[in-house]
Amino acid sequence: MRDMLVRLKTINEEQEGSVTEHSKHEFDEHNGTLLRQAVIFESSSPLDVILKEAQTIRKEIALLCSEVTRLNANNERYATTVSCLSLLKKDSDAIARRIRHRGESVYAHLQALGNKSKQLEEEEGANSAVCRIAQTQYSTLTHAFQAAMNDYNKAEEKERKICRKRIQRQASILGKDISDEQLDELVDKGGEGWTELSQDFHPHGIGSCRMAMCDIKGRHKELVELEARLKEVHELFLQMATLVEEQGSVLNNIEVNVCRTAGYIEKFNDNVKRAIQYKKKNPFLQCCPCLPCWGIIIQQCNKQ
Amino acid sequence: MAPGGLKAVVGDKILSGVIKSVKKDGEWKVLIVDHMSMRILSSCCKMSDILAEGVTIVEDINKRREPISSLEAIYLITPVEKSVRALIADFKDSTFTYKAAHIFFTDTCPDDLFAEIGKSRVAKVAKTLKEINVAFLPYESQVFSLDDPASLYSFYSSKTNEGRNKMIENLAEQIATLCDTLNEYPAVRYRKGPEENAKLADEVYQRLTAHKADNPKMGEGPDKARSQLLIVDRGFDPISPILHELTLQAMAYDLLDIKQDIYIYQTTGIGNAKEREVLLDEDDDLWVQLRHMHIADVTKKVTELLRTFCESKRMSTDNANIKDLSQMLKKMPQYQKELSMYSTHLHLAEACMKKFKTSLDNVCEVEQDLAMGANAEGEPLKDAMKSIVPVLLNNDIEAYDKIRIILLFIFHKKKGITEENLAKLIQHANIREDSKIITNMQKLGCNIIAGGCNAGKMLPDRKERTESTYQLSRWTPVIKDVMENAIEDKLDRKQWPFISDPAPINTTQTAVSSARFGHWHKNKSPTEYRSGPRLIIFVISGVSHSEMRSAYEVTRATEGKWEVLIGSSHILTPTSFLNDLNGLD
Repeated sequence: MRDMLVRLKTINEEQEGSVTEHSKHEFDEHNGTLLRQAVIFESSSPLDVILKEAQTIRKEIALLCSEVTRLNANNERYATTVSCLSLLKKDSDAIARRIRHRGESVYAHLQALGNKSKQLEEEEGANSAVCRIAQTQYSTLTHAFQAAMNDYNKAEEKERKICRKRIQRQASILGKDISDEQLDELVDKGGEGWTELSQDFHPHGIGSCRMAMCDIKGRHKELVELEARLKEVHELFLQMATLVEEQGSVLNNIEVNVCRTAGYIEKFNDNVKRAIQYKKKNPFLQCCPCLPCWGIIIQQCNKQ
Repeated sequence: MAPGGLKAVVGDKILSGVIKSVKKDGEWKVLIVDHMSMRILSSCCKMSDILAEGVTIVEDINKRREPISSLEAIYLITPVEKSVRALIADFKDSTFTYKAAHIFFTDTCPDDLFAEIGKSRVAKVAKTLKEINVAFLPYESQVFSLDDPASLYSFYSSKTNEGRNKMIENLAEQIATLCDTLNEYPAVRYRKGPEENAKLADEVYQRLTAHKADNPKMGEGPDKARSQLLIVDRGFDPISPILHELTLQAMAYDLLDIKQDIYIYQTTGIGNAKEREVLLDEDDDLWVQLRHMHIADVTKKVTELLRTFCESKRMSTDNANIKDLSQMLKKMPQYQKELSMYSTHLHLAEACMKKFKTSLDNVCEVEQDLAMGANAEGEPLKDAMKSIVPVLLNNDIEAYDKIRIILLFIFHKKKGITEENLAKLIQHANIREDSKIITNMQKLGCNIIAGGCNAGKMLPDRKERTESTYQLSRWTPVIKDVMENAIEDKLDRKQWPFISDPAPINTTQTAVSSARFGHWHKNKSPTEYRSGPRLIIFVISGVSHSEMRSAYEVTRATEGKWEVLIGSSHILTPTSFLNDLNGLD
């Protein structure tokens, strides 16, 4: 990369030397902008509102991602430790709950952004900068949200897998091998599944096997709760997938984005200027300002 | 998996060097591009990438734009008059279109335009001005394009003789920025014959040397002295761009209407049936896996992958097929991305096969026989005319397909055919309006009319290949032979001369040099630093999909020792190639 800024400034300064004085005072030397006559409104512009809202959603998604990271870390400990399993499970329940709430909040904000974007489309036109900015932020944030939720799904999957493996290992120690399909059935049956499961165990001794039985009971309960946890989030996943499907993925491509934008038309200002000109030029209005209709009728007669 | 190779290198350069370099927390910016820079940016970055780094909208510099005076603007443009004028116009009157300007040129800005900017108000509001030296499109991880589909016309039409030298200079500069970006300083070689090959090669060498003066890192590193850049003309292998290819990417672009790499199809998802648009690029892992596969293997592979996927997620479905996917989607919406990918590729493969079965089964067999000079059993072709006549007389076959057969017939004849015979063939095929295409092939240096302007020019000999292939995919692009020879240092120096003597190749390494050892202190991203040598091939006036595939196959065969890159002014499809020939004169 070649930095050419210094060369540019040099050329500009050399040119400045030969420029007359009176144009210089227009420039504010310190920040290089022209002083403009501008009316400053108290309320923020629609653009500011959209950008602020987008930033908020972005922050929330980042927080969601950090919660997912926490869940993953928790899973690692769950996989490698042999004690405090139910405590770890409680932690992951709490994290999952927070993720779900945050996910629902992000979804609500996204919907609001989507509605605002549609509103802007009607008010300012689909081609206005603020509308396009809103649309782009909306679609990008939806995809980012989906990516975060997919990571969450992967974390849940992992936890479920670890739990299942644990159950199968401990069951085989207790004398019964459980296949994947059998485990599916038992989980689907919930609490009843446990009674079925425990019937088949033949504990050899008393002490250690009782521990093992307790352990496996705990894991079975956790697995059932894990499945229930995922079912709760199913609705959120479905809503998100519908959103992504509606938007399509092609708008993430920059070329498509730029090509589908039409040129900006200064419609309002031009039309008003033209109307004022026509009004001024109308001779009948100048003579008889209170009888504009006569002017139009006479004009039309003249045309014929 | 993020795309690797060229796309990663350029994407990283643009994201870090341009967008991140001017990022300020809490502040959003507008990004302004012109046509070429937009294509470059689009091929290696997504909207989500740039939005994550503080850009909130992308505008076309040549369209009338709404002023957004509260935001600063990043201009990523080519240093041409049109774009520079538009830039100056943004800051002309008393109201500025944007708050400030950060300007990035794709390559060197000519002095006169630079002076114009310097004298305008832009110089006051410019906070950044850099030249990034990226003037090419990273189309795939090993394929580049210079985004000039009019290249065939520029090079071979008799009407464009004057501007040709300037065009060759521009081309050379673009190729030089490719080498600059990859930190390569390859030995330049060209195919002896057409004069434009030598001219372009010479120009490229000069530009490379100029770039190396500014960027001494070029060519640095063990083995880099073996890197080569080959310039070859399209007429060298006119068969590959017109043959019907049966690998997924080549077939899809040939038979289906895919524009701007977007495939459109009808499907049901969670909602009702509607049209879905999908971008076929390297962000789609499945596309990367399938694109070079033979179509017969594609459907099998996708179905197998889908079944494995369903089993691993414990989705109960016996026959995972296209219709079932929408059911699965409703049951497990968290796998939308994966299921959409499977759906897209099942549809794509099905669409290709449908088109193939309607008329091309016979045609492909004849084409392969002509191209190979022998039938599937290896017996040399005795009466080529007999095999092509039924195809030419068949009214169900499209004109362009007939032209492709005729051309292959002529190339099979090696010495060309008489004007009489050509007229007869055109009449049989009933393609008089498009017959120009055949004669215009002569402008590429191909032997069409026996005893005509290209008499004596022969198509290159090809290697004997013994790997088993599908019957309708026996042809291997000639460029693959060239790639393999170049890597083994067996490429004939008389037919492929060097512009300057290459550095002597060290066959015995005195010190153990490792790619990793000794370079840890240099801040290089893994994408940029590739230890082995590279073979870069530039085809003048268009590269075909089969040739692109060869680059990947040869690279794989070297087990990572070499990386082969191939590129051209644009990517051809058989239809676009024939259209270009039609418009030559």
